[in-house]
Amino acid sequence: MNSKLIRELPELVENGVISKDVAIKIESYYKSKNSDNPNRLFTVFGVLGSILIGLGIILILAHNWDVFPKTVKTLLAFIPLLIGQTLVGFSMLKKKSRTWKEASGTFLFFAVGASMAMVSQIYNIPGNFSSYMLTWVLLCAPLIYLLKSNGLALLHMVFATIYACEYGYSYGDNVPWVYLLLILTLMPYYVGLIQKRSKENITSIFNWLLPLSLVVVLGAFIVRFDELIFLSYIILFGLFYNLGKMPKFDNLKLRQNGYLVLGSMGTVVLLLITSFKWVWRDVYGIVGTDMRDVSLVAVLFTAAVFALVYLFMKNRVEKTNLFHFIFMIMSALFFIGLTNAVIPTIISNVLLFALGVNAIKIGVDKMHFGVLNYGLTIVAALIFCRFVDTNMGFAIKGLLFVVVGMGFFVTNYVMFKKQRNKEEKL
Amino acid sequence: MKKIKPQYLFMLFMLVAIVQLLVPAQMILGQETILDTGAAYKFRTQPIDPSDPFRGKYITLRYEMNAGISKDSLWERNEDAYVYLKKDSLGFAELMKVSKTPLDIENDYVIVKTRWYDQNKKTIHFNLPFDRFYMEESKAKPAEDAYREAQRDSLPNNTYGLVYIKEGDAVLKDVLINEIPIADYVEQ
Repeated sequence: MNSKLIRELPELVENGVISKDVAIKIESYYKSKNSDNPNRLFTVFGVLGSILIGLGIILILAHNWDVFPKTVKTLLAFIPLLIGQTLVGFSMLKKKSRTWKEASGTFLFFAVGASMAMVSQIYNIPGNFSSYMLTWVLLCAPLIYLLKSNGLALLHMVFATIYACEYGYSYGDNVPWVYLLLILTLMPYYVGLIQKRSKENITSIFNWLLPLSLVVVLGAFIVRFDELIFLSYIILFGLFYNLGKMPKFDNLKLRQNGYLVLGSMGTVVLLLITSFKWVWRDVYGIVGTDMRDVSLVAVLFTAAVFALVYLFMKNRVEKTNLFHFIFMIMSALFFIGLTNAVIPTIISNVLLFALGVNAIKIGVDKMHFGVLNYGLTIVAALIFCRFVDTNMGFAIKGLLFVVVGMGFFVTNYVMFKKQRNKEEKL
Repeated sequence: MKKIKPQYLFMLFMLVAIVQLLVPAQMILGQETILDTGAAYKFRTQPIDPSDPFRGKYITLRYEMNAGISKDSLWERNEDAYVYLKKDSLGFAELMKVSKTPLDIENDYVIVKTRWYDQNKKTIHFNLPFDRFYMEESKAKPAEDAYREAQRDSLPNNTYGLVYIKEGDAVLKDVLINEIPIADYVEQ
């Protein structure tokens, strides 16, 4: 993109659009901006290389070499660890470049895992997979801050998620509380990224990974009271949406704002599910409660409300935008659902339709084709779902599909025209 | 955030590095102590071969000792239980008692996870914890097959895990078929 601009500069100068001075200034500006780019690429490859070598060592050790006696095996367990530590120590002492720190840190991460795996093999330690992962992640957590390493922070998040899934979704009523602690240890680093480097790719990656990780793990926290799962997810997505509207995130591009996208899409998907009657029949059938599960949902709800109140105080709530409030409406519906299965089903359908129309309106107002078609897709999906559980003749169903399809064409065409008219007027 | 001096950072790193070394070292020390000073028991078993993504191939051992009589019917899934042992004349482990709490007796014990309680037979089912034996990847599957071969003779189950036990902790030292270590048995 920038190089394209620079290539066009001579033409612009030739045609007298800009002066030669300005052209030189523009060129030097982009050159100085790009000066750290190749370095960054080098870092990425360094980290990838370390991950591959680290995993390779783990796999080689996992062969469980019979030929080596126990002492040799024990030595082998410590060699990668010592190499990794020496490399990290060296890059810290000699104040080496970012690439050095990222690559050596990543290597050390896997060396720690390899060493513990090797000891487990030698002594047939039965320790289950989740406790092995937990020790591993905890032993490497301080390195994130000591090396200020993005790679280690990412590995920490991914491995914490794997740990929580292993621990929480395996048999038994285990709740992965330690996962929250692991995420909390990462928070100062993440907040630092948001404050200082909010527009950089690495921050965007975290903006997606953290909410994704929470989405994956949340289900493990609700153990006795399955019907609460969908309510807790709706509230979580409401929280994400409102977080995504916070000043720090709302200025970002959509693809950098995982909270907003996941929050919005998650809400729609869950509403589609709750637009079926069987969900509410399950809720209607609930007997008894589990205090721990209920209080967890309450905590989540409070957090989402806090996010919303904060947005209100900053005047960032668009009052006509339903997405802000869905989690509250659905929570109320859940309580209605305990005594009645029909009303919530109807309201869910109405809400979903309203959301679709809402998105279409936002799309039209902002002249944004993506949002417009998102709204249309919501409406289409709703109609499709109702086809599945409503007894309608094929002819009518077919006709409705044609109408919705036409709707896509017409709205896009109208907006396209509108946009062109506007451009012509300019 | 306040800037921390590089030399302090490095000292912190040294601390982390020492802990990273200590954890596996501690694991080794604990296991070696049990092997040195613990009592050896033989547990009759049956091997099956799965694998772990990081630690490689192993055989899971399904022990014959997997349940004990208990009058207490309030057992829950996945809770800790104390299994007290005694040895028969050939060195094989026999179950003496299963208890929810530690007992004041001299016998060796292992801490197990409960599975389910059989109301009719008044027995509590459990898994012995030392159920993993790591093997070279090419040998785990043949080990399972070798066990099945060895079972074909008319003699009683002759495959056992050799386990050292001390104060509730256990280390599985080897698995033997007809008194031959399973890794060697596979090669025959």
